[in-house]
Amino acid sequence: MSLAPSSAPARMPGWLLILPALLFLVAFFVLPLIDNSLRSFEVGGEFSLGRYIQLLTDTFYLGVIVETVVLSTAVTVICALIGYPVAYYLVRHAGRWSGLIVFLLIAPLLTSIIMRTYGWQVLFARRGLVNTLLVQDLGILERPLQLLNTPGIAIAALVHVLVPFMVLSIATVLQGIDQRLEEGAQMLGASRWRTFLEVTLPLSADGIGTGAILVFMIANGSFVTLVLLGGGFQTLPLFIYQQFTTTRDFGMASTMSTILLVIAMTCLYLQLRLVRRAGV
Amino acid sequence: MTGLNRRRFLQTGTAGAGLMLAGSPGLLRAQAGQVLNVTAYGGVWETAVRECFVAPFETKTGARATVSLGAPAQWLAQVEASPQSPPLDVLIMSPDLAIVAAQSGLMQDLTVNRIPNLAKIPQEFTDACLGKGTYLDYGVAGITYNKDMVPNPPRSIAEFVDRVSAGEFVASVPSISYAITPIMLIWTMAEALGGGVDNVDPFFEAMERMRDNLVFWGGPNDFFNHLASGEADLGIYFDGRTWNHYDEGATWIDFINPEEGGALTAVAVQIPNNANPLAFDYMNEMLDAENQARFAEIMNYAVTNVDVVYSEKLQARVTPWQQTAFPPYEAIGAARNEWVDRWNREIGM
Repeated sequence: MSLAPSSAPARMPGWLLILPALLFLVAFFVLPLIDNSLRSFEVGGEFSLGRYIQLLTDTFYLGVIVETVVLSTAVTVICALIGYPVAYYLVRHAGRWSGLIVFLLIAPLLTSIIMRTYGWQVLFARRGLVNTLLVQDLGILERPLQLLNTPGIAIAALVHVLVPFMVLSIATVLQGIDQRLEEGAQMLGASRWRTFLEVTLPLSADGIGTGAILVFMIANGSFVTLVLLGGGFQTLPLFIYQQFTTTRDFGMASTMSTILLVIAMTCLYLQLRLVRRAGV
Repeated sequence: MTGLNRRRFLQTGTAGAGLMLAGSPGLLRAQAGQVLNVTAYGGVWETAVRECFVAPFETKTGARATVSLGAPAQWLAQVEASPQSPPLDVLIMSPDLAIVAAQSGLMQDLTVNRIPNLAKIPQEFTDACLGKGTYLDYGVAGITYNKDMVPNPPRSIAEFVDRVSAGEFVASVPSISYAITPIMLIWTMAEALGGGVDNVDPFFEAMERMRDNLVFWGGPNDFFNHLASGEADLGIYFDGRTWNHYDEGATWIDFINPEEGGALTAVAVQIPNNANPLAFDYMNEMLDAENQARFAEIMNYAVTNVDVVYSEKLQARVTPWQQTAFPPYEAIGAARNEWVDRWNREIGM
């Protein structure tokens, strides 16, 4: 009996590896998205732009669209302003405490967003911890402050949820910056502030961009926080929910969600352009 | 639309998904005709449904009932998407959606022949569902208040509006994103203040007067948090849920059915076309006096079988449905979207 050399095993095509993920994405994201878009153009079985015309010409709904973008932008900017110093400290000064800081940053994400939002209610209600402290314990105020159901508290809660995404995005990029570049700038006479502005900040723009995209996208679709904490904001996600629960106008909900998607994609494109223009 | 329209797109997708599932019989009903898919809200509702309806149904029929948790809008959408083979056999519905579902021709007629216990349900409740459903239980949307903060509560909706407007209290009322706000708040308040389903101006004028002293709840638990945390002193809420909180230790809470009559907020039950025939047996269990009495004790809500005998504790809490304001659900359904749009523009979220 002779042992014939076995033929070489057939190599599995590389694309097969991503096939399961691709099928999953197509079945549960792409197809529903297409279906949703088609639904937005269908009125009584006919093709119609009616809902888009209604949403994009009615000043009330235009205001809602603008408010959605402005709120997301404001939250993104605040997250960047708070997140950058934290990320900088984390990478450059925290040393052995960095692990603890990262844990503290991530810890809130381990709790359900609903629980966290209820926590805000407990803290800032009229007889909540903060008002009790100010009125009864410290005697600073005579009457409790109206803190809940104000725009400020809704924005603060959103920032609380989203700032870890910004910090971690920036920290990852800061960690990769060669510190010799900063040292070189200082040796050539640049002050620490100028070094930061002209060397560190531009080199970390990619991290800011990534964080901004993440924060903006999530804020753009944020819902639970605004529903539970109020604040008077009228944003598209709240209206989409209303179309399902109260008016059952699924076509209008599809139209609104398509517009929200276009806004998100446009902002994503602009932010990517901005980051690339920054020279990274 | 010509070419690829939404329906064709969905059909193609469904066919593909069907082919994929064909090889997984375990994902489909293992014993066709012997497994019933019923519905329930989450939390104590689910517990009560399993204990009071599912268990006796399974004992009597030998079939099995699976319980899907969710909300009426979602369940109706599921039936609408697949009317020939509905994924659910018995639906829990809000009264207004029950009418929508009945008018859409998606639900079956209920008859005493098929559901003997239907004879024990007031005809008004079956008529309210156009004969294609009936009511299982009901609550009253009235004034719930914190006894510590409001020792002398308003007895009527008109008084509620006046005193909240004057800044005597902060009130928590349902937001427009809550499904039955058009019924329990807009219509009820309009009716109490001299308007009605054709004229909700009194409601919007009252909201404008109360504006500075209002907070909004997005869901029932939210309301309780408002009262417990002191964010509000009183508000518009359900009797049954109020008593649930009381029994759980919040003995500072109390409820008043306003003099004008709080809105009757019922839970309807319906059977979709092409549902498993066992759905009628299950609904018969849902309408059984003994089962309903146990359900009422758990839920703290009134039930609809006229033979039900409540415990002493519950008897004191239950408001006879004749003393409530029976909303014109069909007319409200027709006006609802206009009211919601007006709310969005005048009051905001």
